[in-house]
Amino acid sequence: MDLRLTETQQMFKKVAADFVKAEAPSHLLTQWFRNKATFLPELYGKVAELGWLGMLIPERYGGAAVSFTDCAVVFEELGCAPVPGPLFSSGVLGALLILEGGSEAQKKSLIPDICSGKSIVIAAITDGGAGWGPESVETRLNKTTGGFVVDGAKRFVYDAEGATSFICAARTENGQITLVVVDRQSPGVSVTPQIGFMASVCEVRFDHVQVTDSNMLGEAGAGWQILDRALEKALPILCAYKVGACQEIFDFTAEYTRTRVLFGQPIGRFQRVQDHCVDISIHLDAARWVTYETLWKLDAGMPATASVHEAKAVASEAYYQACNFAHMVFAGPGTDYQHPLMAHSVLAHTLYQYLGTPLYHKRKMMELSYPSGEK
Amino acid sequence: MDFSVRTDPPEIGDFRKEVRAWLQENMRGSEHLRWSAGWSTRDNEEEYQFRRELGRKLGRKGWLFPVFPVEYGGAGLTIDHHVVLDTELDRYGLNLGHVFYTVAHVVAPVILKWGTEEQKREFLPPLTRGEITVWELLTEPQGGSDAANCQTRAIKQGDHYVVTGQKVMVGYRSPDALFTLVCTNPSGKRHENLSWLLIPGNLPGITIQPMYLMMGLKNSVFFDGVRVPAKYLIGGENNGWKVANTHLELEQGGEGRVGTNALVERVVEYCQQTRVDGKPLLEDTNIRNLIADMMIELHVVSLMERRNFWHRFVRQPHPYGGVQFRYYQRMVRLRNAERLQQIMGYDALVPNPSVHEDVDFDYVVRSGPGRMHGGGTLDTDRVVFARRVGLGRPTKEKAPETI
Repeated sequence: MDLRLTETQQMFKKVAADFVKAEAPSHLLTQWFRNKATFLPELYGKVAELGWLGMLIPERYGGAAVSFTDCAVVFEELGCAPVPGPLFSSGVLGALLILEGGSEAQKKSLIPDICSGKSIVIAAITDGGAGWGPESVETRLNKTTGGFVVDGAKRFVYDAEGATSFICAARTENGQITLVVVDRQSPGVSVTPQIGFMASVCEVRFDHVQVTDSNMLGEAGAGWQILDRALEKALPILCAYKVGACQEIFDFTAEYTRTRVLFGQPIGRFQRVQDHCVDISIHLDAARWVTYETLWKLDAGMPATASVHEAKAVASEAYYQACNFAHMVFAGPGTDYQHPLMAHSVLAHTLYQYLGTPLYHKRKMMELSYPSGEK
Repeated sequence: MDFSVRTDPPEIGDFRKEVRAWLQENMRGSEHLRWSAGWSTRDNEEEYQFRRELGRKLGRKGWLFPVFPVEYGGAGLTIDHHVVLDTELDRYGLNLGHVFYTVAHVVAPVILKWGTEEQKREFLPPLTRGEITVWELLTEPQGGSDAANCQTRAIKQGDHYVVTGQKVMVGYRSPDALFTLVCTNPSGKRHENLSWLLIPGNLPGITIQPMYLMMGLKNSVFFDGVRVPAKYLIGGENNGWKVANTHLELEQGGEGRVGTNALVERVVEYCQQTRVDGKPLLEDTNIRNLIADMMIELHVVSLMERRNFWHRFVRQPHPYGGVQFRYYQRMVRLRNAERLQQIMGYDALVPNPSVHEDVDFDYVVRSGPGRMHGGGTLDTDRVVFARRVGLGRPTKEKAPETI
């Protein structure tokens, strides 16, 4: 047992923390989220230069090939801000999808550009929106002479705005799910920002989009297995991002209790206010330790699937609840879009849904731990 | 990071094998016993005696306090050895913390930290070798959470302290030694008027009366002019509050633990065996969701315990980890108590002596409301948390170092 970060990890963390301080200070962040300008090409380019896209990817495809925990400490710091943009959705999940499902030629042609930030590859999974399982995939993939046609409307595609390609989950005529790489510039692809209490979410329509064999990722029908494999590695990184966000919320809320004076004393002297901070800390540390234990399992090559589902459930819930308890402390001013809490709050709601709700992942965890159905 | 507690570093060598073989030998004859919880409603003389004896045997090898120096009854080993011992005992449903029914695990570190060389050599070995049972007396009738408002007086007369007063809700079975907070300077300032005193259990003037509580038997202890030799005062006169903070930190969650919790397995087993409408209860979606929440929360409890354990042994006390964990654990107990009632109905209220008490549904349900207060309330935990984090204050109170 050793619960310390390594020296390298501490260094990674420091570099990322300095980056956040310099490039994503809270006054800019609040503006970005308020104006829904969460895709910032310049900022994204800087992230790419630092080597934070494709951190989990082997070096031969342009990645950094660091451990899961190494990657997580960087994303934890990025989550503190929270730094927006497709850092996770393309740099981690998009790259891993191609690594897990692509042919050697696809890996060589697609992944290096993801790592350099030149291309942004985003998974488009949900159709109906409410479900994240394979049963919810409705977009169709029909064979034509010389190729295939994709038809469907993917709702709630996170980070679609800056995408250069999509990895679309589609159902073939015989009902199998296949992943298809679709260039954003293909005729029939349209991207529309979605209105609502969420950040960086678009609807992506595929209207009779022509694709060829070379656009297929993996074998026909292997789509969901590829997605599962990529998610198992990617989700804990997203969890670490949320851990960072929770830490930031805890820190700035605690600081507020020292400086905000009401009824003649700092509000942190009121035990009800203290209680909210206790609750934030519990959600923060639940997310932190479940996440880092999962990362350790992945790094150690242990079975981690159930842990990954658990971490996603705990971290999503933690981020959401940390915001809620912080809102209790900040009251009115915390609901102003100029306040840093609002960036977190809108993102916490978005990420609560993104790639599956806590209940969805708890059920998956339970199913793996204690399968239903009589033996 | 490395969360493993069952894969050992190379320095451990064959220690795990040795411990496992030793336990196989020394746990023989306990197969039919079902362990009582730390605070028990059961009264099983055979089980009690078995564990007392096991404690003495472990103590003779220095294994009850493996990291303590040999001259004080420990084995001079490392945190990793402690982990081995704890995890191997865990296979039998026990842990070093309360293997032999005493609170030595929170008292001995206090003596180690605050005692003089003479006191350490005299007082520690009987405790650390599991020879004597120890009670810790803090709560008084007028001041539960307000432990510093201590009315038990210890007035110096020559080379003795004369102790008069009452402590409540303490102890189990009979004590060989009592460790208590006393007021040595009635006119002194709060927090500067207390001392930490070891009182041999056989001195004249001590009366013990049972108290029947929700979670089992506890006691009231009366001191009526008990003459305690001055050498039993630990950490200096009127320095008792600081001394007490060492064991308070341990008691308030800072002790940590590396063991497991078998409750979920027991609940799942019940839900597999119990059929409703021809199907096992475990097939019910609502039941599955309840169990999933139990699993996650108990897992978080055990991760926080492990974190606190690690911080303690690397001598970097977590600033707020102790009280955070304890508050959370108690809230989880409350939620699980209700979940059990939702899952199994009246069965959740029926004691079952054929299982360990810690996973006996009736005990778990009562533990919800019944074990919210030992060593401080939910509210004192949050008060301490606020001081440690520095909520509403410019400074942060430091966590006391413990061992």
